[in-house]
Amino acid sequence: MIKTVLRRNVLALGLVVAGIGLLGATPALAANPAETYVQDNIHKGLDILNNKSLSVEQRRQQFASFLLGLTDMKRIANFTLGQYRRGKDGTPELAAFEAAFQNYAVAVYQSYFAKYAGQTLKVTGSQARSPDDFIVATQLIDPNDRSGQAPLDVDFRVRTDAGKPVVTDFSVAGIWLALEERDQFTSFLGQNNGSIPTLVKHLDDLAKQYRNQ
Amino acid sequence: MPGAKVEFMRAVRALVLGACGLALTACASAPPSPQALAANDPYEAFNRQRLIFNGKVDRYVVIPTVGIYYFFVGEGGRRGVHNFLGNLSLPTIFVNDMLQGEVSRGGQSAARFIINSSFGLGGLFDPARKLGIYGHGEDFGQTLSVWGVGEGPYIILPFFGPSNPRDAFGLVTDAVIDPTNQIPMKQHIWWSAGREYFTFLDLKGQTYNTIQGIQRSSVDYYASLRSLYRQIRDTEIRNGRASKAEDLPDF
Repeated sequence: MIKTVLRRNVLALGLVVAGIGLLGATPALAANPAETYVQDNIHKGLDILNNKSLSVEQRRQQFASFLLGLTDMKRIANFTLGQYRRGKDGTPELAAFEAAFQNYAVAVYQSYFAKYAGQTLKVTGSQARSPDDFIVATQLIDPNDRSGQAPLDVDFRVRTDAGKPVVTDFSVAGIWLALEERDQFTSFLGQNNGSIPTLVKHLDDLAKQYRNQ
Repeated sequence: MPGAKVEFMRAVRALVLGACGLALTACASAPPSPQALAANDPYEAFNRQRLIFNGKVDRYVVIPTVGIYYFFVGEGGRRGVHNFLGNLSLPTIFVNDMLQGEVSRGGQSAARFIINSSFGLGGLFDPARKLGIYGHGEDFGQTLSVWGVGEGPYIILPFFGPSNPRDAFGLVTDAVIDPTNQIPMKQHIWWSAGREYFTFLDLKGQTYNTIQGIQRSSVDYYASLRSLYRQIRDTEIRNGRASKAEDLPDF
């Protein structure tokens, strides 16, 4: 009896809150290109990681080419250098860093996304930061989950100013990966006299470690 | 009861004095680098030492203890302990929900406490979740943030890990306002210590793999932890609501 009353009250409260939320939300008129891009492409990456017929090496290669097609890796690499990017235009050390970052990112992101293989992604909305910079909100839904936990929130930052949409960052449960990488890299560079070659070597070592796992 | 209260307040005072001592020691060390100041981490050099100290405590004391706990207590037992500890923290969460004006979340906390304390046998089980009433975290550090208090510089607390003055003050305040600390008992300090000890074991056991993964994959573990702590706290303060687009940096 108490259970039923409590449940009813909580459900009623929930409906009121949901109603307030709906009133406050900006209605999405139609899916924008960024939403469509995320909806159409992210599941392809999850499918690759979930494809048991591929060998480990095939899966790695397919995921790498998928990721490089999906993201603007150069832009992300440059962002993660923070203030240490200044004055490095066209230098060999910047090119070496971009290559090392790409290797590192593929290894890290593959390991990261592999945890979510078998899950499905649902776009739940988006907000525009500027006319060509969107944050697309999604939820990862595990069809086999019995824990009753809420689905995991994964947001994608998508830019549409480069001819076709590209992902520049993503966040899992509120943590933005490129932001976290920038904090790490700039701190590492601060500890190492701003030496980008030292960072490149460190990234190469980490990427090797990941591949050997 | 008065004896227990005095004992408890003495422990809180020791924690506050310890934190002040830490701050003074940090102030006495070398001046902060421009990078540390830019990262709002003026005590970085000291914090890095503290992180190494905490890592040693983890390695030689905490992780072996967690191993023993996992060896002797099965998954079901550990889940019961986790649920029980979570239930004990619900009154404090409820107070903070209400202080933040989050009435519906406060209702969830209150409902969870009533249901799990009764039908969940004192909180060992979580029937509220089966009814669709999910749990959430809340603390006085978050309340202060909602009230407009800034986080202050980044600090690493001994044993507790990443924090800042606002959250450290929140930690102490949560202990003071926790109604379970007002229950009269002769040996209150043992109850509090036992509860904190199992909370620590539970937390360390649950986060062990994640922390190991961050350590393995980090270019700079200290900076990674600092960034993750700030982003996670920011998400918690927003109660999981989407980050404001304008708060994100340009690419």
